[in-house]
Amino acid sequence: MKNPKIKKRHKWQGTEIFSVIVLTIIAILIVVPFWNAVVISLETSAAFSRKPFSWLPGEFTLANYDYLLFQNSGAMITAYKATIGITVVGTFLGMLVSVMGAYAFSRKFPGKKFFFMAMLFTMFFGGGLIPTYLLIKGMGLLDTYTILVLLGMISTYNIIIMKNGFESTPMDLQEAAMIDGANDLTVFAKIMLPLQKPLIATFSLFTAVGYWNSWYWPMLLLSSGDKTVLQLFLRSIVNALTSQEGTKNMAASGQAFQNTFSQGVKMAAVFAVMLPIMVVYPFLQKYFVKGMLVGAVKM
Amino acid sequence: MEATKKKSKLLEIWKARYLYILLLPLLVWLAVFCYAPMYGVLMAFKNYSAKLGVLGSPWVGLQHFKRIFITPDAMRSINNTIVISASRLLFEFPMPIIMAIMITEMPGNRTKKIYQTIFTFPHFLSWVVVANIVTNFMAQGGAINILLDNLGFEKINFLTTKPLFRPLLYITSNWKEMGWSAIIYMAAIAGIDTTLYEAAKVDGATRLKQIWHVTLPGILSTIVIMFILQVGGMMNAGFDQVFNLRNSAVKDISQILDTYVYDITFLSTPNYGFSTAVGLFKSVINFFLLFLANTVTKKISGQGMFA
Repeated sequence: MKNPKIKKRHKWQGTEIFSVIVLTIIAILIVVPFWNAVVISLETSAAFSRKPFSWLPGEFTLANYDYLLFQNSGAMITAYKATIGITVVGTFLGMLVSVMGAYAFSRKFPGKKFFFMAMLFTMFFGGGLIPTYLLIKGMGLLDTYTILVLLGMISTYNIIIMKNGFESTPMDLQEAAMIDGANDLTVFAKIMLPLQKPLIATFSLFTAVGYWNSWYWPMLLLSSGDKTVLQLFLRSIVNALTSQEGTKNMAASGQAFQNTFSQGVKMAAVFAVMLPIMVVYPFLQKYFVKGMLVGAVKM
Repeated sequence: MEATKKKSKLLEIWKARYLYILLLPLLVWLAVFCYAPMYGVLMAFKNYSAKLGVLGSPWVGLQHFKRIFITPDAMRSINNTIVISASRLLFEFPMPIIMAIMITEMPGNRTKKIYQTIFTFPHFLSWVVVANIVTNFMAQGGAINILLDNLGFEKINFLTTKPLFRPLLYITSNWKEMGWSAIIYMAAIAGIDTTLYEAAKVDGATRLKQIWHVTLPGILSTIVIMFILQVGGMMNAGFDQVFNLRNSAVKDISQILDTYVYDITFLSTPNYGFSTAVGLFKSVINFFLLFLANTVTKKISGQGMFA
């Protein structure tokens, strides 16, 4: 009866069973809508109208993606290029300016307190939407990718956390280098930057995701229509298709691509926009989590 | 004496010259994108005309602010904002706490990791993407309705049915953010001294009792801080989400302050002064609420966020 082997096995507690069941249900509820969207995007129109919900594509096709990427006047390719460009350039410039500023704030110099307070103040108070818009207009940067790069560069919150990171590295290293004749710039570039690589990498990720996901300012600023970014493209193609659904235009016009259909193209667009994040996220998750917790601890 | 003092100050500045160089780009950015637009709040007190510019436009005192209170649309959006935010405190705020406790209860590190990847992933998608996934799943022809239909219920379009739209906001917001917000509480739970649990076990406390008497008190300060932050943002009822999910059928119950400002600024003949006044009104209340929440929680629990 009293076999020690059995005793050693994990004895399930009531709370454990409850947690596993509830969390499994939640996990399913999160995965299924994604799965459903992907399945629809890979289906033919006929299969979808026969059976609007299925666990696997009724009839597999890449027609929706083909339409989206190559037939729709290449708007999505333009959007992809623009978003990648903005994300890469913006993340690089933003991190450069932020890290430099964060390092300076981690040191002592006359006027530090004033400048730091001036930065903190912007977290609580801003001029708001209209003055910012008028300013951008005044600079002649409406309808440019440049302004989208500039607007997303700085997060005061990230700078404060990186400043704390720099402060936590021992001063002796810096002082030793100074005695050897190095100036602040060399200390920053040769000693502090390499030491804080993990923190910098983490915040680069957050900044990059911010650029990738931004849609509000692009929506307000890219007015001409020949410039677009991914999130904006997604919004506009969904709106266009939805209004077409109303007039049944798409079905009636007898398109060259019989297999595409409104919902399929929409879901293909959704999937294409989120795919890069989905691919990299599982590998980078721990950095994101670390980044969030670094901030939380300092609160 | 005075001269040497001045000289040493200058020397100090000269010594720090490289630090100023490092700081300069950041200061320029803040000056251009944060401080330059700040003078624009003057518009809230002026009758702005593009011809005269912000400084040249005539002063009108508090006229725009008074107008907020006699404009039915503005009042309704204030009301909606408060109701939606308060409901979020009720239906969204506790969820990550419960989830964090359940994840820590869950055995098996490998499964835990996989689950956490699933739970946190939606946080990294924009509301543009999530709104489309929600619409696809919950609209008239979506999977949920097919299920309802198969079970013999009537089909419902969750997005265009008035009484269901706000619950939809809370559910989808939890769907997207709950897992990510749970991380902070999980870290707090991981920081609790394990000997406390051992002692509770010796006293014969069940798991549930341990959660109640050890885990919850152990993460109370984290809960307090998160609560203060949430209350401080009460006037933001989730612009990205509402903007991407709303439709004409639910307009009057989904109009929050931020969407209202957007609508009056970009979808009708704009009155920049009035728009700015509504925005300023909002930030002032947020600021006040943050202060209030901090004071109250400090009184009750002995700890606030700002010392």
